[in-house]
Amino acid sequence: MSIFHGMNTSGSALTANRFKMDVVSSNLANANTTRAQMNEDGEFEPYRRKLVSQEPRDASFNSFLQKSMNRSSNPGTGVRVQSIEEDQSPFEQVYNPSHPDANEDGYVQMPNVDPLKEMLDLMSTSRSYEANVTALNASKGLLMKSLEIGR
Amino acid sequence: MKPIESNLFTQGIGKVNQNIQQNNPVTASEVQESFANELKNAINSVNSTQQESNAQTNALINGEADDLHNVMISAEKASVTLQTATEIQNKAIEAYQKIMRMQL
Repeated sequence: MSIFHGMNTSGSALTANRFKMDVVSSNLANANTTRAQMNEDGEFEPYRRKLVSQEPRDASFNSFLQKSMNRSSNPGTGVRVQSIEEDQSPFEQVYNPSHPDANEDGYVQMPNVDPLKEMLDLMSTSRSYEANVTALNASKGLLMKSLEIGR
Repeated sequence: MKPIESNLFTQGIGKVNQNIQQNNPVTASEVQESFANELKNAINSVNSTQQESNAQTNALINGEADDLHNVMISAEKASVTLQTATEIQNKAIEAYQKIMRMQL
């Protein structure tokens, strides 16, 4: 554990939050994409909403060993993005016969992206980024204050 | 990255304690050499953070950096280590001057 442990931890959270922000941007950008991928039948499928799952970065053998021996003095080494998952909720059916991807009944399958949910994710991610910047500045402030000891 | 100051002091004090226990006095050249080595290590450690920050900044300028915050964090780390180094240097010079002012 070094003096920059806290800064490294906050830095990993900043990276993870930026990644989440990118995924939300992709979801918003593809809110009307009807031809994202082709299924087995050779038909186009609309874009599926992407979700980010995160895990602690210290998921190593050593950390589990220390934990099981009750010697866990490790305050954690931050967070990392584990995977991008696809939202399995059904696509939205919209009646629009003039759409090039409409079926015989005139319905189009639109992506399962809800702009409201995406805006919510965007706001919470950017707030979380700000919180981590504040934590980083606080740990830097502690270091700078400790340089004033004895002055 | 090791905290430079603790490294410097604990090793130096450890050496002195060891010598006291073994009842053999530390020669001036030994102390000088050990101090010089520790100082060199500390300065190298400071230099490596500066180089890391430089590399990150260059990557940013060339458009290769993935994240802006990592550039800023490495710059902050370099600044904190450099300030620590100057603080330690001030302390060392202060101690030296106090000894030099000693009335014999």
